[in-house]
Amino acid sequence: MQVGDRLRIARNAIGYTLEKVAAETEIGPSSLSEFENDKREPRFSQLSRLAELYRRSVDFFLSDDPLIEDVMLWRDAPVEEEQIKRTEAEFRQLCEQYHKLELLMGESKAVSLPQAQGSREAFSVKEASRLAENFQEQFLRGEIPSTSIRHVLEEKFHVKIFHLPIAGSAISTLSPEFGPAILLNFQSKLWRRNFDLAHEVFHLLTWNIFRDPGCQIASASEHEEKLANAFASRLLLPTDAVRDRIEDRVDDRGQISLEALDEIAREFGVSLDALLWRLPYLYNIPAESIRSYLDKAGHMRLIRPARQSDEPDRLPERYCGLAIRALREGRLSLTQFAKYMGLSYKKAEEYLADEGELTDEEVSIPIA
Amino acid sequence: MKKSQFLLLDAGPIIELFELGLWDDFIGKCDVTLCRTVACEAKWASQEDQDICIDLETYERANRIRILDVELSVVKAFYERFDLSYRTELHPGEKETLAFLHGSSEPWLLCTADAAVFKTLGVLGRSAQGISLQEALAQLGLGRNLGWKYSERFRQMYTALGQTDSIQGRGLH
Repeated sequence: MQVGDRLRIARNAIGYTLEKVAAETEIGPSSLSEFENDKREPRFSQLSRLAELYRRSVDFFLSDDPLIEDVMLWRDAPVEEEQIKRTEAEFRQLCEQYHKLELLMGESKAVSLPQAQGSREAFSVKEASRLAENFQEQFLRGEIPSTSIRHVLEEKFHVKIFHLPIAGSAISTLSPEFGPAILLNFQSKLWRRNFDLAHEVFHLLTWNIFRDPGCQIASASEHEEKLANAFASRLLLPTDAVRDRIEDRVDDRGQISLEALDEIAREFGVSLDALLWRLPYLYNIPAESIRSYLDKAGHMRLIRPARQSDEPDRLPERYCGLAIRALREGRLSLTQFAKYMGLSYKKAEEYLADEGELTDEEVSIPIA
Repeated sequence: MKKSQFLLLDAGPIIELFELGLWDDFIGKCDVTLCRTVACEAKWASQEDQDICIDLETYERANRIRILDVELSVVKAFYERFDLSYRTELHPGEKETLAFLHGSSEPWLLCTADAAVFKTLGVLGRSAQGISLQEALAQLGLGRNLGWKYSERFRQMYTALGQTDSIQGRGLH
């Protein structure tokens, strides 16, 4: 594929018109058009400027490899196409930077996320729950999955998880280039982020079942969303652990207060609503009853103090760790490091201040 | 008559020279050339906790430095010589500058603070064309003690890594 095609694809992917690009780069629209139609070659510095604006690496334009555009699967996508494209471009750029850091540090190979088997027509809520149970048993330690799921996804499976203030809840993708990745809304409450993360894990585990190769459709059917919710509910609220907590709080009449349920929900890092919707599966409570409890739960939210919601880090810890190591080992320039970390050049320099001392043998600790 | 002919590659040395207040002295003592992409990367520096804007094109218009543009096809041909690890390590300004240097028969010196550049010079068998900022300043009578990445030791260490890759058949296609 020629550079011109890649320029057009990158511009369309971020939703810019030729006029907008011209205004931002001071490259005339007719020149831009000639570049895109391979009638004239841009100078390298012009290409660099366009790459920066389009949030792509220069390597994207220099490569001769076949181009495979990623499918970005949205949850609660905003209505405006422009907003969707900008968010996707920013997310893709972060994922590509993350992947570049992995390549630089020789850590690009991880255990692949296990892919579920089956057909999309026959995939049922029961199977989604079983998938969650298997995933929890195999990979998540402890009784509270919400405390370990993000760590396991990042460290074991190298899933790239970012938090950005976005319009919408989440995006997931399984890129042939940079692997599995999830974007969560920075502004969501912790319980919501936990649920969104687990929900997106379902999409990643069943990507090959529900996404046709080469198909660019970036939305899930109502049925698939229902399955993802069932999966998330089962994953975050394991049967035995939740039952134990509930039975500990049941009174002499065999009942449990909404307040106690709310405390259990907080412990498991989910909303009270999510816990209430788990009860039909745990105790055969009819859905109609749950709806009436949900109304009362809505009232209780007004009189209960808000949960403490820790603000997530915008960049994953592993990403930052790789960037710092790449900088200190001289594999990433300070300019690039500052860009990757969203820091000023001066602030970025602080990470290098003690490099001389850090590389001396005298600060190494003999282990073997 | 100026003492030396230099090619400033990285945004790092440019920013450092501005922060040290040595930029004007430096370009008065040697011919400085840099690539357009590098000029775009070196936009900001800090002096006494204040950010200062670097406008290198002002110096270009005053004929005090030379900023050059390299054709995309030249950079692409250069880029294709390397394996994935070298391609990944070099950032755009470095790709442009190294492509220019590689295609030139002039005895350019590359002043950088970036390991990837020294490694690339090592793997290309052009180790003698790399110079650290500390060495460059010393040659111009502006000697200073600078941080690790501006030192001779840093240059030697990463140039040697590139040379080792070359001997062991890594880095180039």
